Amino acid sequence: MKKEIIIKHLGYVLLLNGLFLLISFLISLFLGESSTIALLFSGLICAIFGVFPLIFVERTEHVNFGEGLSIVVFGWLLTCVVGMLPYIMWGGEFTLANAWFESVSGFTTTGATVLVEIESLPKGILFWRSSTHWIGGVGIILFVMLVLPQSKGQRLSVYNAEISSLSKMNFRFEARRIVRILAVVYLSLTLLETVALMLFGMSFFDAINHSFATIATGGFSTKNLSVAAYDSVAIEVIIMVFMLLSGMHFGLIYGTVMLKKENIFTSSLAKTFLLVMLAGVALVTAKLYLAGTYDFWTSLRFASFQVISLGTTTGFATEDSAHWPIFTQVVLIYFTIQCGMTGSTSGGLKFDRVYIFFQSIGKQVKLLKHPQGIFISKVDGKVIDDKLEQQTLVFIVLYIVVFFTSTALLTAMDLDGMTAFSASIATIGNVGPGFEKVSSLGNFSTIPDLGKYVLSINMLLGRLEIFNVIALIMLKRH
Amino acid sequence: MKKTLKIKILASFMLLVAMLAAAGAISLAEFRWLSNSVHGLIEDNYRSIEASKTMVEALEREDSGILLLMLGEWREGRQILRSADSLFMASFEVARNNLTEENEQEHIRQIQESYQAYKSSWERPIEDTDKQGNLSWYKEEAHKKFMQAKLAVDGLMSLNQSSMYDEASELKERSKRALMPGIVSIVAAVVFSLVLNFFIARYFVNPLSELAEAVNSFKDGDKSLRSNITSNDEIKELEEAISDLLHRMASNQNEAKP
Repeated sequence: MKKEIIIKHLGYVLLLNGLFLLISFLISLFLGESSTIALLFSGLICAIFGVFPLIFVERTEHVNFGEGLSIVVFGWLLTCVVGMLPYIMWGGEFTLANAWFESVSGFTTTGATVLVEIESLPKGILFWRSSTHWIGGVGIILFVMLVLPQSKGQRLSVYNAEISSLSKMNFRFEARRIVRILAVVYLSLTLLETVALMLFGMSFFDAINHSFATIATGGFSTKNLSVAAYDSVAIEVIIMVFMLLSGMHFGLIYGTVMLKKENIFTSSLAKTFLLVMLAGVALVTAKLYLAGTYDFWTSLRFASFQVISLGTTTGFATEDSAHWPIFTQVVLIYFTIQCGMTGSTSGGLKFDRVYIFFQSIGKQVKLLKHPQGIFISKVDGKVIDDKLEQQTLVFIVLYIVVFFTSTALLTAMDLDGMTAFSASIATIGNVGPGFEKVSSLGNFSTIPDLGKYVLSINMLLGRLEIFNVIALIMLKRH
Repeated sequence: MKKTLKIKILASFMLLVAMLAAAGAISLAEFRWLSNSVHGLIEDNYRSIEASKTMVEALEREDSGILLLMLGEWREGRQILRSADSLFMASFEVARNNLTEENEQEHIRQIQESYQAYKSSWERPIEDTDKQGNLSWYKEEAHKKFMQAKLAVDGLMSLNQSSMYDEASELKERSKRALMPGIVSIVAAVVFSLVLNFFIARYFVNPLSELAEAVNSFKDGDKSLRSNITSNDEIKELEEAISDLLHRMASNQNEAKP
């Protein structure tokens, strides 16, 4: 593993951060805000550290698996560190723990906030906050580019399973093409949503910020009341459509637009994902209506937004679901666990693993009936081998271990059960809001500082998919 | 452009200098702003607060003067009223010429009007009139007007005090901001030095050691001068020059042999 290659790529990561800090600085400068110097100096630090490795390291073509993994893991950690610089330098509500939490939440596209007064933040800081989501989304694409083409063993097999519906081509050799597809989809969705939101009355600034947060499945809003502040059905529908798209495999979106054979309508995985989402909306709507919480249309409006928002790990809100009937909260917790599809910008467990998990349960039931029988699981016509099934189950177990540990740690800090449970599951799933003290229209400001660090680790593990962190530790040991 | 060692070292230090210079410039600018703000705080709000306090003191002395007049102590009473009036007017002038806050003009107008009304109640003779010893006149007219004038002065004082508090909070925030570039650049300079140390070891020291090792191997009989230098700088040139020199030496030795 060549350290200089890792350092050089970390430099590129810093330069990307520097570019967005420069834009944020220009916004602050133009509006004469108090955050101008904080953004300028943070941008300068990123630019200097980004350019530095380029002076020494010669052009490198090949990045191996270990290097790619190190770039991704350290890249995320580094961006989280530099991402908190503008916050900590500006001050206000940002203590060290708050700045770190907000930065990690942004880059991991979680969208959980510790801020009480979001609207009083300078516009430059608000733009930087949304940019962290968007850069986090780009990071996921880089992850596909740097790690997957070189990966061996479980990672490749999982992603082969995901990509199988997209094409029959060898993923290892077509990685660059796939990255181009993902990048085009990412940019196009961002632009389209910005324009659509502007057409329905949102200001350009708010539109681009919400667009950044939607496409990256983040959830940071420029308003204290999130999307509820606009009280507009049209805006909610637009955001719902783009949340759904962002929670799906980008390759399938590309295939649909380009009228390819592999598209959303032919992929059984995508169809099941949409059907499960639809079932969730129906259940929550029915319960809200039958419990007399709202009339039918209001129930449908709030239920669909909340289910899609949590089911795609975005985390925007139009209503505080903490006061909803407990059944609806259980359904929403299921979607917080399930998360979006792989190949999208959503984090956490991912729908594909849940799909494989249920298929393997079905297989085990059949084996109980016919112990000598040979049964195979398939995803879009591609056989899921036993090894991949085992790895999926191990991942789910690890996920539960991390979630349980963080819940236990939070309750040890005297947080109530529902807050600790929902905060843990919402952060490891990179969703954002939970229930009780950290509900959809609330924030994480009441969590103790130590709890914020625990939840930051959750967010990073959720984004880096636990296995990658373990793989990096194993690589370092060898 | 060929990145020579000289350029690499110079560029690295220039980056470090740029970062420290920016941190220094930003901190200096912030501290300058802080110094101006502290000066402004004393000049603007504190002066008006002090003037308001003196006005209140003068008003209270005038109230005592009125009571003395009512008790028939006209000489002492008039003396107190005259000196308190001139003290009030001097402080009022200070406040009037120190308008720094929004709505401060309105407060000044209210003070002027209420004081004129109050003054008119004791300017006219009190001694040997029906006002002397008349407590209900004092309570209904003189004391009421005194309270109104005092209230107007209190309004001006509150305005400046609250503004002073806001500015002090802002100053606290800004002083933190002024310190931050310094703290961040110290941490960044430490990280920068560590990374620079890694690059110097990797790109300067290691190639030179490899070259020395290769020359030693040549001495020991290995004629291939194998080194792993990939950079395109003076060290690569040195490797090529040594290789060339050793090659020529080997050729000359071969030619010299019978």
